[in-house]
Amino acid sequence: MMDDSAHSQHSRESQQTLNFTLNGEAMTLEVAPNAVLLDVLREQLHLGGTKKGCDHGQCGACTVHVDGQAMNSCLRLAVMCEGQHVTTVEGLAHDGELHPVQQSFLECDAYQCGYCTSGQMMSASALLADGRIGRDDASVKEAMSGNICRCGAYKNILEAIQQARLAYDATAERGTAGRQEGAA
Amino acid sequence: MRTFAYSRADSVERAAHATTPTAAFVAGGTTLLDLVKLDVMQPSELVDINALPLKQVEWLDDGRLKVGALVTNTDLAHHPAVKQHYPLLSEALLAGASTQLRNMATTAGNVMQRTRCPYFRDPSAACNKRHPGSGCDARDGLNRMHAVLGGSEACIAVHPSDMCVAMAALGATLTLEGPDGEREVPFGEFHRLPGDTPHIEHDLADGELITAITLDAPLAPAGSHYLKLRDRASYEFALASCAAQVALDGDSIGTARLALGGVATKPWRCAEAEAALAGQPATLESFERAAEIALADAEPREHNAFKIPLARQAIVRALREAARLAGTTQEEQA
Amino acid sequence: MNDMTQSAFANPRVIGQRTPRVDGEYKLTGKAGYTGELHAENMLYGYPVPATIAHGELESLDLDEALAMPGVVEIFHHRNFPKLHRSPNSMGHGDQVSEVRLPFEDERIYYHGQYIALVVAETFEQARAAAYRVGARYRHAEGAVPSLLDSDAEGTLIDSAGSSRGDPESAFSGAEVQVDATYHIAAESHLQMEMHATLAEWRENGARLVVHESTQGVFYQRNAMARIFDLAQENLEVISHYIGSGFGNKLFMWPHAVATAGAARELGRPVKVVLPRQQDMTGGGNRPASRQRIRLGADREGRLSSVIHDSMTETSLVDQYIDACGSATPSFYACDNLSTSQRILPVNHGTPCPMRAPGEVSGIFALETAMDELAVELGMDPVELRLKNYAEQDPASGLPWSSKHLDECMKRAAKRFGWDQRDPGIGAMRDGDEIIGYGMATCTWFAGRQPCEARVELRADGTLFVACGTQDIGTGTYTIVAQTVAELTGVPLAQIEVKLGETSLPAGPLSGGSMATATTLPAVAAAARDALAALKEVATGSGGAFEGGEADSLSVADGAFNDGQRTVSFADVLETSRLASVNGQGSAAPGDEQNQYSFRSFGAHFVEVRYDPGISRVRVARVVSTMDIGRAINPPTARNQVEGGIVMGIGMGLFEKLDYDPRDARLVNGNVADYIVPVHADAPEIDVEMLDYPDFKFNEFGARGVGEIGLTGIAPAISNALYHATGKRHRDLPITIEALLAGQ
Repeated sequence: MMDDSAHSQHSRESQQTLNFTLNGEAMTLEVAPNAVLLDVLREQLHLGGTKKGCDHGQCGACTVHVDGQAMNSCLRLAVMCEGQHVTTVEGLAHDGELHPVQQSFLECDAYQCGYCTSGQMMSASALLADGRIGRDDASVKEAMSGNICRCGAYKNILEAIQQARLAYDATAERGTAGRQEGAA
Repeated sequence: MRTFAYSRADSVERAAHATTPTAAFVAGGTTLLDLVKLDVMQPSELVDINALPLKQVEWLDDGRLKVGALVTNTDLAHHPAVKQHYPLLSEALLAGASTQLRNMATTAGNVMQRTRCPYFRDPSAACNKRHPGSGCDARDGLNRMHAVLGGSEACIAVHPSDMCVAMAALGATLTLEGPDGEREVPFGEFHRLPGDTPHIEHDLADGELITAITLDAPLAPAGSHYLKLRDRASYEFALASCAAQVALDGDSIGTARLALGGVATKPWRCAEAEAALAGQPATLESFERAAEIALADAEPREHNAFKIPLARQAIVRALREAARLAGTTQEEQA
Repeated sequence: MNDMTQSAFANPRVIGQRTPRVDGEYKLTGKAGYTGELHAENMLYGYPVPATIAHGELESLDLDEALAMPGVVEIFHHRNFPKLHRSPNSMGHGDQVSEVRLPFEDERIYYHGQYIALVVAETFEQARAAAYRVGARYRHAEGAVPSLLDSDAEGTLIDSAGSSRGDPESAFSGAEVQVDATYHIAAESHLQMEMHATLAEWRENGARLVVHESTQGVFYQRNAMARIFDLAQENLEVISHYIGSGFGNKLFMWPHAVATAGAARELGRPVKVVLPRQQDMTGGGNRPASRQRIRLGADREGRLSSVIHDSMTETSLVDQYIDACGSATPSFYACDNLSTSQRILPVNHGTPCPMRAPGEVSGIFALETAMDELAVELGMDPVELRLKNYAEQDPASGLPWSSKHLDECMKRAAKRFGWDQRDPGIGAMRDGDEIIGYGMATCTWFAGRQPCEARVELRADGTLFVACGTQDIGTGTYTIVAQTVAELTGVPLAQIEVKLGETSLPAGPLSGGSMATATTLPAVAAAARDALAALKEVATGSGGAFEGGEADSLSVADGAFNDGQRTVSFADVLETSRLASVNGQGSAAPGDEQNQYSFRSFGAHFVEVRYDPGISRVRVARVVSTMDIGRAINPPTARNQVEGGIVMGIGMGLFEKLDYDPRDARLVNGNVADYIVPVHADAPEIDVEMLDYPDFKFNEFGARGVGEIGLTGIAPAISNALYHATGKRHRDLPITIEALLAGQ
């Protein structure tokens, strides 16, 4: 499926080796030093779920998790991810089951064209796991403001995040309980 | 985006010694890669400093807080010591950029943030900062976003940081490591006014690296407020912002600290306005007089004159909120 | 056919029900393939080089350094790009393009960002790096026109875009009460999240061209490309499965697509071009700036005696685009004396194009602000003024409305909003530091239909396949097409496969003008009925599951036929007759009803702004709207579009402005940080109600369309609310902080 012959043929002289974990899978890649994570995902790895909307950290469509933190993949050199865990929208679902955020986006119609949606969900899923961000609507809207939706589905996105929070909290509680049992 | 060499630094000393004049350090990369993509910055070599041990936040024995250069904006904003003792800094950090960018951006990187002047960001425009001697397209161009304080014939570009405005008000010291060893620079002296050398933006020499920023001991008991005014509600650079900190002495102002963002060519400490506030009653009249003083030397261009009244409004409101919180703090302690 | 009140969809089970998007999971898991992320074997990357001046000539290009860079295959420009033909550029013949000038035609430069070269390289990084090393020398020309807003030129009158009835000039000069005001709206960017993108691949030794494009109209692009590349339409395929929205700027093809396909032909390899955001904003369409003068005459009771609406909008130097601001005005209010006129002024920008509610949204801002000014002059409640001039039939055509409940929209929205709590005094309502302003405006968008074809297959595996060459730009077309065939056949949504966005499918309409639903669904329904008829014929024919039965006696439910005794699934009917599938074709087009009725959607917006004069900060706090859009096929996706229109209206009202440097017409804020659009934190409390009055005179579904109307009327409702808060009338958009400060 992957056609990276171009990459290997034409710029081998300046390629660097990158070892990182992508969606839970250890990976070694040859990348140009000036290749940006977003472009490597889309053009070299053919993972198109992460979107390019501005290429300058101004829209949030390219948001991925780097070691669990939401970041703009358009402003990160691929080589800077050495040893890091990168999660994209393709890694959000587990064992064929949608992430609570994906499920609530579906139910709340929290999108239209779908192009900003990956970024919205990556920010939303990081937000749910970040206890430092307030749970009220105003805090969520402020924390999500780095993800522009030109279709203007903000109301439904907010509703989806708050709905996903219920499922997420329940899962997290079960997870904590499980860990406690395991410890005992 | 041009090609460049890339390497990772494994020690501060080596990072400081190994670099060439056309090399650039990269930490968060949020300014650097933005500008490299625009061909505004053209480093031949990037030195990734993310592995350096500069991520601690620690109290010093003299009551100051030392912040490692690589502490991210998010971690600094939410750090318990910052939230409790420097809420002004926390507010300013969270008013800047977006969640994602704050997760990437570092403390030192934020200090090194470049201007958002559209003519600086466009390699085909005249810009003395980007290309010394080429002229300034902003002076007679679309200068709505530009500075009314600290500008020169050569440059009226605004320093875009929110964090730095809070640091200017709080007082801080930068620790720099370079080929000639370590030195310290007061925060207020680090950023340069453009004058006729707008391309020289700060006190950092070639190869020098910011390793830490140490905040002055907190002013207590005090109230503070960071107010950022902009077109939309979030994720936008300031049209005018104000960092205000007030310690009360009874009903009067004991000490006031005041700095402006969005209106000046560097993080703008308002020393005269601070002095004028000391000993005055904490009233709107005092705040308005301070605002007049702070903007007394403002020089508008065609499209940014509104920033003068807007900055005054930011000052008055930020001082009012800071004084209100200071009053609450004072009552609590009484 | 004329009166469709006996619609098969009068009591639907799936139509009108909340239905999660059938393409939702693809979008939510990253599997939906948008053009920019597609790949072809042996593909090259193109990166356009934009002109850095807006007016003049390209004197010379220096390509040596760029050509020598790693991975660079070729650089195209006006001296080596193949000579192609222009498209006839006809709406009627379906080959309309956004900018008729071809890329690299000559050395003339008409606007900042016009392509002067296309670098093609093995990787994206290499193409971009080399594009920055292309040197260009220009000869600047004097007299660049940066914006209509900076010009006092008269422009050119477009007679066909004006209208007149009665004697508006005399009626105005004799009116007891007059409003005479001029309004300006800055040029706007669509700023659709997905930039324009093309992947072009020539097959069969250059005899056949396959193009993936992010487009709202695959057939228009195919037809235009066939003319430009001198190909038979049959040898050209345009594909667009997922579109990161368009809002009008992806209706018709832009030069980047021609450049991409031309490069791919010359190099014999597929080429992909994704426009960088700045180039998308300079050469990928914009809503042109407008200047409008409105004159209203009325008597003391508030009855309008004259409406005069004169507009001027920008066009480019390389094509003619008319943003008809006055097109809704003749239908808005009952008034015997009315005229509209339209002028255009060429400026040094990339060609403007339709942007969500083109023309009308600008015109409605001016008209509905002027109506508020009239209400203030009269000391009359603005709702009452509008009811007093209510158009019971379409005053433009004299025809009755097919269905109009605007009065109910105003009354219901006013009630939910709490309009009766409004103290009409300027600045009379306060909350702490903030002044609360209430404002309202009404809105409308025409309801149109186009011809359309569709195909439905019933398959022996129990699935249903439905195909139409329209597109889903995010409005939910995939889902409502699935709902339609599910309604008619009873096949569950999970077993329905919808295919859109290919020119190999039956000809479908543009996804634009809020017309896709009313256009597509009747054709899909016809195809489904045709497929059912074919299957009934099979069932009752020789060897069939209901052999010897009457086709008419078979009822349809849950993907099966029933003759009153037995139920046999479609799959079993096909199996019984050893058939893999049956096929149904359908087509639909507007008919005689167009001569009998006027068709429009209507609505009313009520807006609460909060203005903090101490810091010159205005925020839209609350929007309550009621919409009369006929039936919503899928209520959540319809509501979503109205809500999104409201958010975009906040941008239009308060933030959005393309800044062209007055000295040289260069775009200064061509990026997503400096061109300000609403973010999450700007989203107000939104309460949208949709009246459910199916418009069966329009089509058997009763649906009119909902894509544009939410945007119309928001900006005037905001400016009217701000007037209520501050007493300052804002006639220019966006209403900036400096404009607010100037009012203090």
